[in-house]
Amino acid sequence: MMRRASLVVGAVLVGLVLMVSLVGLVWTPYDPARVVPGDRLLSPSATHWLGTDAFGIDILSRIMAGARSVLLVGVFAVGIAALVGVPLGIVAGMNSGWLGRVVVRATDVLYAFPAVLLAILFAGALGSSTTTAMLAIGIATIPVFTRIARAGVLQVMSQDFITASRVSGIGWLRIAWRHVLPNIAPLIGVQASVSFALAILAEAALSYLGLATPPEVPTWGRMLYDAQRHLLNDPHLAIAPAVAIAGAVLGFNLLGDGLRDLLDPRLKEVAE
Amino acid sequence: MAQFSLDRRSLLLGAAAIGALASLSACTGDQGRSPNGGGSATSDGSGPRTTLVVGATAEPDTLDIANNAKAAVPQLLLYNVLETLVKIDSEGTLKPLLASAWSLSDDRLTYSFTLRNNIRFSSGAEVTAEAVVQSLEHHRASAANAADLEVVEAVETPEPGVVQLTLSRPSNFLLYNLAGRAGTILDPESLSSIATEPKGSGAYTVGAWQRGSSIELPRNENYWGNQPKFGTVTFRYFPDPQALTSAMLAGDIDIISDVTAPESLPQFSDTETYTVIEGTTNGEVVLGFNHSSEPLKNLKVRQAINHAIDRQGLIDTVWAGKGTLIGSMVPPTDPWFEDLSQTYPYDPAVATQLLSESGVTNITLRLRVPALPYAPSAARVVASQLKEVGITVQVEELDFTTWIEQVYTQANYDMTIVAHVEPRDLVNWANPQYYWRYDNPEFQALVVEADEAPEAEMVDKLKQAGKVLADDAVADFLFLFPNLVVCKADLSGVNVNATTLSFDVTTIASRNG
Amino acid sequence: MPRVVLGRLLTLVLSLAGASVLIFLVVQALPGDLAQVMLGERATPAQIEALRERLGLNRPWVVRYLDWVGDMVRGDLGTSALSGLRVTDLVAGPIRVTGWLVLWSTLGSILVALPLGMWSALRRRHWDGFAVNALSQFGMAVPAFLAGILLVLVVAVRWGWLPANGYVPLARDPGEWARHLVLPVVSLVLVQGALLVRYVRSAFVEVLTEDHITTARSVGWTKLAALWRHGMRQAGLSLVTVLGLQVASLFVGAIVVENVFVLPGLGSMVLRAVVQRDFIVVQSVVMLLVVAVLVVNTVVDLLQAVLDPRIRAKEQR
Repeated sequence: MMRRASLVVGAVLVGLVLMVSLVGLVWTPYDPARVVPGDRLLSPSATHWLGTDAFGIDILSRIMAGARSVLLVGVFAVGIAALVGVPLGIVAGMNSGWLGRVVVRATDVLYAFPAVLLAILFAGALGSSTTTAMLAIGIATIPVFTRIARAGVLQVMSQDFITASRVSGIGWLRIAWRHVLPNIAPLIGVQASVSFALAILAEAALSYLGLATPPEVPTWGRMLYDAQRHLLNDPHLAIAPAVAIAGAVLGFNLLGDGLRDLLDPRLKEVAE
Repeated sequence: MAQFSLDRRSLLLGAAAIGALASLSACTGDQGRSPNGGGSATSDGSGPRTTLVVGATAEPDTLDIANNAKAAVPQLLLYNVLETLVKIDSEGTLKPLLASAWSLSDDRLTYSFTLRNNIRFSSGAEVTAEAVVQSLEHHRASAANAADLEVVEAVETPEPGVVQLTLSRPSNFLLYNLAGRAGTILDPESLSSIATEPKGSGAYTVGAWQRGSSIELPRNENYWGNQPKFGTVTFRYFPDPQALTSAMLAGDIDIISDVTAPESLPQFSDTETYTVIEGTTNGEVVLGFNHSSEPLKNLKVRQAINHAIDRQGLIDTVWAGKGTLIGSMVPPTDPWFEDLSQTYPYDPAVATQLLSESGVTNITLRLRVPALPYAPSAARVVASQLKEVGITVQVEELDFTTWIEQVYTQANYDMTIVAHVEPRDLVNWANPQYYWRYDNPEFQALVVEADEAPEAEMVDKLKQAGKVLADDAVADFLFLFPNLVVCKADLSGVNVNATTLSFDVTTIASRNG
Repeated sequence: MPRVVLGRLLTLVLSLAGASVLIFLVVQALPGDLAQVMLGERATPAQIEALRERLGLNRPWVVRYLDWVGDMVRGDLGTSALSGLRVTDLVAGPIRVTGWLVLWSTLGSILVALPLGMWSALRRRHWDGFAVNALSQFGMAVPAFLAGILLVLVVAVRWGWLPANGYVPLARDPGEWARHLVLPVVSLVLVQGALLVRYVRSAFVEVLTEDHITTARSVGWTKLAALWRHGMRQAGLSLVTVLGLQVASLFVGAIVVENVFVLPGLGSMVLRAVVQRDFIVVQSVVMLLVVAVLVVNTVVDLLQAVLDPRIRAKEQR
């Protein structure tokens, strides 16, 4: 039952983030970029449900507009990681020769570079921007996907139908595409959800360190960073982005957990 | 660029700017605290105060005052560790320090300084005229200070205890420069270790430096003047404004030398515990235009931008309403200040009108700003308000080093925002190579005349120069940084105005001392 | 066996070589000029050029790379151009700061996570087990820096119990050293511990459903005793593996926490050196961190090879 709860709560939270970002795309209560000095630091009220920030911008509007940036960060970071990491993992899993080994070792080297370290270097080299942050998070996440994919492939490869395909002379690329990928896809999906949550957190951390400066529409991480100067006098500035980040991270984590439990028969608990 | 002696490349930029915002404020540390300031807020007044912990934002990269141009170096060393022949006080007036008297020849080309008797470096060695000459020669050949001493042709000691400077042309600014970083007198013995252990004749010496955290200044036991008031003064550095505020509220530090989170000031309203000082600085926050950028060559466009920005609203938003409207590159503490802040009142309608008169359409401008506490916020306000009048602004945040390279050195930008914190920095507008790329012969002539003219005429010339900058809408002078200092209530003697780059702790005293 | 060790060591050396090239190239790509940074805005182009020459920045990059690697092999991390100090001296303090931080928060995380994780595994079908699980989910969802800032505001600013930030070396004042480390360690434990609770929980859940535990229970052992006897070792092994894997992510947490609490550790040192364009410092410190992670990985690998006969057999095949 609790497993189901994870899945449901996770799906609802993720759905909420998606919905907010879609609505934010076409409509927000106020212009999320228009500075109104006269309206600064208003407390929550009927006109501004979550109040306004130091620029006089409606916080709800910023949260709605920022949801898109947050999703973009997640999609790109996880996308880079999965698109590069999964094929590498498949190669490493299917090839037991030197190629596979080199991939495994290269992954280990990359694993030694945490996202923050990469982000610091990238921000210096390419200028600090949300794009750099996404790139750094994505690259740092590649090894995670490589490892997961490789582990999955090793399991799949030991099964009879693969051996049969190999014997019948089908090329490895085709085996990978036809049999391996579909079999490890659920595993990748679970990891993607968890990595998505981590990417949101990482972006917030990078924003805090000043390594992910905002595009047109700032992410929640940047909002939180901007709000910290006002924590003592106007804590309402921090509450909305903090809750939004925590909610989204929680959502993606729970969704990942729920999916894993659903897919992994080993974790199915023995009925008592 | 050698055409004017004034077109030195002396500006002081943002990071530096922030360091320099410090003027003097005094505060005290509690007795019995570790020198690092650990301790709870409850230990107030348990005995005489022997330490002072100053919280600042920008840590020096090195202590080489001759070759590192960052304002963090003089903030720490000037007047505290290294002394000068003459000193600028909180009111902006020149006072004797190592020199007891000085005179200027009738042709205004020779300065003679008479040294005080019996002045000593912290090593115990006497401060001789030879030592002074050696230091000044060192600065003249240095990267950071040579420009300040450009008019100096020779430094000699015609008789013991007298230092004589010969100038290539009269200069009103030289004496002020000698009161700053370019006039610091170092122990000749320490010139070789100037980057880590500079030694001077000041009330404090350089002690332990925990990089990334703090620098200790123990008292100079051989000080020639009045006994220093604290055993140790510690400068602690906080890159994060929130951390600085927290440290003050928790009682870990005694002074915030430069408040970079003015939103936090209400937290210090309890006058029993804290004193909040508000003065002025030399830090003009400038929305700089690149005059080689096509749309910005047009005077009407520049004026339109000036009309389109609500500067008071910007101060309210960016710096919690603290700061002064200026309208030109002159702070109110300069004798040649004129209130030009109403030259271009906020009026979007006029801005739109001017834009259509200008004939320039579809303006898109890159606003590239350094990632310093004020610039990105100010950029958001500017971008939003220019959008209202139909100018598209693309904001880019650069780390300070990249900013120096791309914007400052290569002038690869349309607009930028940075604080210019050096005294008398309006002369930078006379340098056509400067990153603004502003080339106005009329202005250049005014500045040279002002420097060479007898002092009375100088003020008038500089007034005219300031007016030219405003009329020509060379930039949008957003506001003047306030000097915001918070210190514990037992401290006094903190300088109200930041007239130099020094955070002078020598004037500070504690009631509990 | 010696072949396995030799193979692993060879891989380590190759990995380190690869990492060093990677680091060097990224650092070279940093825009901005060290000489310009050092001399500042007021220096003339001639002065900057002279300094570049003196610092050896004008030499071809291959020469500079080989120089750097050659020095490192001899245990010399180079000399910071900006401060003129040796990097080995510069990192001595920061290594201790980050080391203490990581050490205490790892111990703290284990102390928190082991009992909580076990509890939540044992009681996974009860409300309290569920609550622990839910709590760890929330813990994982809070950004570390936010937790740190809130701790400072409440414990240091509001209550005045502890210093808000800063660091005092152990040798200087052990009491103050401890007081300054409490809040940073707690905020790291909050985040790291939450993650660890979940690993411990799933490790124990797995153990609990295995046959020998069921057997042990059927012969009358209590659940806890069974878990203690049989589960601990197995769960302990996976815990060690997880901790090994977390070396890198712990540093991530540390760098943020160092920033919140103004601790002069390795993280803030790298951040500062990048801004200052002190290339040698960036290269060497990043390399140091990467070496640490890779060496730990290799040791874990070797241990597994020694402990797990299956891997050993496979390697020798």
